[in-house]
Amino acid sequence: MPVYVDVLRCIGCKACEVACKREHNGKPHIAVLPAEGRAAVPLLCHHCKDATCALVCYSGALTTDGDRVSFDAAKCTGCGICALACPFGVIWSDKLAHKCDLCYPAELPSCVATCPAQALSTDYDVVSRRVRYKAAQASVIEGKRSI
Amino acid sequence: MISMDSSRCLGCFACSNVCPSVKITREDGEQRVIRFSRCEEFCDLCVEFCPGEALSISPEGEDFQISFELIPCRACHTPFATRPMLRRIIEVVPEELQKDSEGISWVEICPRCRREMERERAARPAVRSRM
Repeated sequence: MPVYVDVLRCIGCKACEVACKREHNGKPHIAVLPAEGRAAVPLLCHHCKDATCALVCYSGALTTDGDRVSFDAAKCTGCGICALACPFGVIWSDKLAHKCDLCYPAELPSCVATCPAQALSTDYDVVSRRVRYKAAQASVIEGKRSI
Repeated sequence: MISMDSSRCLGCFACSNVCPSVKITREDGEQRVIRFSRCEEFCDLCVEFCPGEALSISPEGEDFQISFELIPCRACHTPFATRPMLRRIIEVVPEELQKDSEGISWVEICPRCRREMERERAARPAVRSRM
């Protein structure tokens, strides 16, 4: 159950970043980056099914746990290999690794609860339905024009 | 004092992170230098947490240091990782996972550039629809 991003809805306000920071002692696990002056994207852990960070972790701090990649700060030595093993560059470390923990055990991650544009969701269907709707809309408009 | 089997050291941050008396320090530039100063503490946290099992307690010894050349990022050429750490990733991660969805091998690209690539990929639908 990762956080799904609907990039078309993101307004780049960084409220998710602030909420995440508040939840994690000032160390955010999500970053909103601007894109060519036209869009903004929140980037965070994908909770990969085959999580490479968990594969390389020496101490067992990162583990695949059902549909999330969980992190046990008590086991982390801050060696930094997970940051080097994340294909998306979304883990960082100082004395400890920092990555999205989905605000576990809270029911809803604070970024999802906060996003004023509803660009973030833990429900894949919500995001995919919107994308399919857009695609259908586009093809209908195309069809009309071609008549 | 501690001693080291340098062939097992990864050049990671674990020992310098856990040392309570800051006797292990590190410095990054073209090279990563990790310095071990004499310590009289009765603790073995660095030994316990070393992922490579490179450290052990020894009755005596001098200050020592180890240095690693940092591998430059294939994209931005900034030195970013030690060879043993990248080797661990190449050995442990299945080959098909060492490439991203676009077939680009990411291991020798620095995390900052990987994030840039991810940003571009993720933003593409929005950027295109707003052209």
